[in-house]
Amino acid sequence: MSKVLIVDDEPHLRLLYETELRRAGYETLTAGTAAQGLEYVQTMKPDLVILDIRMPGMDGIEALQHILDRDNRVPVILNTAFSSYRDNYLTWAADAYVTKSADVTQLVEAVREVLDSRLASRS
Amino acid sequence: MTPDRADHRDLIAASFCQSLRPLLVLGGDGAIAAASEGAGWLLGWRAAELAGVRLEDLVVPADVLRNCRGDAPCGATGLLQVQMRTAPGDLVPVEIRCSRFEQGGSRHCLLFLTDLRQRGHEDELRAVRLAKLSLLNQVSEALYGAHLSLEQILQAVLICVTAGEGLRFNRAFLLLIDETQEVLRGELAIGPGDREEAWRIWSDLAGERADLFAMMTTYDRSVKQTDTAVNAIVARMGVPLAETTHLLVRTMATRQAVRAGLSTPGPGVEAVLGWLGCAEFAVAPLTTRSGPLGVIIADNAFSRTPISDLDLEFLQMFANQSAAAIENSRLYGELERRLIDLRKAHQKQREDQETLMRMERLSVMGETSAVVAHELRNPLVAIGGFARALVRSMGQDDPNRQFAAIITEEVARMERIIHDLLDFIRPLKQTRETVVVDDLVRETVGRYLKRLEEKAISLDWDLGSGGAAVRCHPGEIQQVLENYLVNAMQAAGDGGFVTVATRALEGGVRVSVADNGPGFAPDLADKLFSPFFSTKPTGSGLGLTICAQIVKSHGGVTEAVNRPGGGAEFAFILPLPKDDEEAGPGAGVTTGNGL
Repeated sequence: MSKVLIVDDEPHLRLLYETELRRAGYETLTAGTAAQGLEYVQTMKPDLVILDIRMPGMDGIEALQHILDRDNRVPVILNTAFSSYRDNYLTWAADAYVTKSADVTQLVEAVREVLDSRLASRS
Repeated sequence: MTPDRADHRDLIAASFCQSLRPLLVLGGDGAIAAASEGAGWLLGWRAAELAGVRLEDLVVPADVLRNCRGDAPCGATGLLQVQMRTAPGDLVPVEIRCSRFEQGGSRHCLLFLTDLRQRGHEDELRAVRLAKLSLLNQVSEALYGAHLSLEQILQAVLICVTAGEGLRFNRAFLLLIDETQEVLRGELAIGPGDREEAWRIWSDLAGERADLFAMMTTYDRSVKQTDTAVNAIVARMGVPLAETTHLLVRTMATRQAVRAGLSTPGPGVEAVLGWLGCAEFAVAPLTTRSGPLGVIIADNAFSRTPISDLDLEFLQMFANQSAAAIENSRLYGELERRLIDLRKAHQKQREDQETLMRMERLSVMGETSAVVAHELRNPLVAIGGFARALVRSMGQDDPNRQFAAIITEEVARMERIIHDLLDFIRPLKQTRETVVVDDLVRETVGRYLKRLEEKAISLDWDLGSGGAAVRCHPGEIQQVLENYLVNAMQAAGDGGFVTVATRALEGGVRVSVADNGPGFAPDLADKLFSPFFSTKPTGSGLGLTICAQIVKSHGGVTEAVNRPGGGAEFAFILPLPKDDEEAGPGAGVTTGNGL
């Protein structure tokens, strides 16, 4: 069972994504800040990270750079209320870019696609 | 007595004797003690011979001045008019004024004599002078008082030079320095064409007894048609200012009116006489403080009256007045032009400022909306997300399931509004490519073929822009076209018709999407492209606004019309590139990133 790390400063959104991803059959863990998220990436070895961009303290784009710096990196989906970050080339390195929506199916599908392509490239 | 005083007395005595005014000094005995040169002239004597002659022998009637002698009052006061006998025996009317004085202990009487024959001529001259001065005053008031155009002033000037009430010249010609400042050129002339016409006009005018004011205002209908001949003459007149010795140019330099005729030497005289075809003429310079404007030439070609000193003097005075009026009118005209320019500049500045303020307000509004929209997105995701979860967890027959579903729908609608709003605010990218319109339309509409088929909507292609290409941001134009197409499909409904057409226009290409739906209420035509206006219950009202903004940013226009046969037609027109905009293929590079 794949393990998904959700990094978002909004507790209600963390709960929503956790609920939906578990329903879709994933194991989840959550972090309220980018710093804690980076720590979990190292200690909990998730299979995928969902990163919010706008967060107090370190933002998602900076967190993404830290994740990219490591070997054997974990795939990242940027999940944000802002469609404008698409124009920022620093976000292009992410495996997917999802604009937040009440319809979480888009996010869940993105998780599945990224994990599937990762599996395919490994085998 | 000092020698100085003796000299002084001699000087006064000599002055008295030399005076051309007729003066007599009577001694106490009533005999003439001294007479001036003028008195000798008047009475036909040599002045020295008059000494010792008794006054009563010279005056008729003799008793009038019988008592007039130095040592006693003559009883006559003020002026006395008498006849005086001259040496040849004629009688001359004379006016006498007495003035008593004392000299060297004895009394004398000084008599001032005035020849009354001369007086008549002087009075006449004085009257003419007065009349002309009054005329100048009138003209001056007319030129300054009424608001006359430059043209009217020039006409008025020439009328005054020629009018019977004015300076009484036969003809007047006005020459002005042209705008190149290089040539003195004939501008306007007034006067009869020949002798017969002159007589007719003068008798007509005498009959009408028009005053100057009336003549200036009625000139157009009374005299103008007769001026063809003189205006033909004035059109031939022209002297380069470089010819500084030419009479006309010289007159402007000396600033003094002159009279010239067949015998006058110097360059230019012959030429002017040749133009005028007469024997004598007068020239007066039109000068202002800022320099010469031109000259007035006047002549008496028909009456052949010689031009007198007085005529010349008045022509000069009148020319000075006219020059000031002409200069004034020019300055006024210049001032008026500058005022208009200033007013225009002011108006434009105000408009620019208003536009700027409006844009600033819109920009602030836009930024505020963007911030609010983003802030709302997170809570909406939570509300809508959990509402979906509720819907899923409830059984089909749970009455609350419908309520949760409503929350889901409404949140979805709010998210759509925010999405449209943020797209609307986001500045459009400025990378453009040269695109063949028909190809773009074919490709874009092609993506909807499957959906059209599902709804059984028949699609008519009418691509007739003949391969015309425009400079555009293809993604944005596609967005406009898709918006039109989706609207048309909704309006047409299942089994309807949609027509996609392109046409080449002069300077542009028109792309239209038409449907056979219900069309729109005619009074909504203006609102269709306004923000937040929608005829659809679920629309955000921003779709067509974004379309209009995109088309506008391409320099194009959007249109919405109801078709005569029913249904609506939405169109946009994009301008063809100007020559300097033409760019090679691949000049526009779009950037982006995939998921």
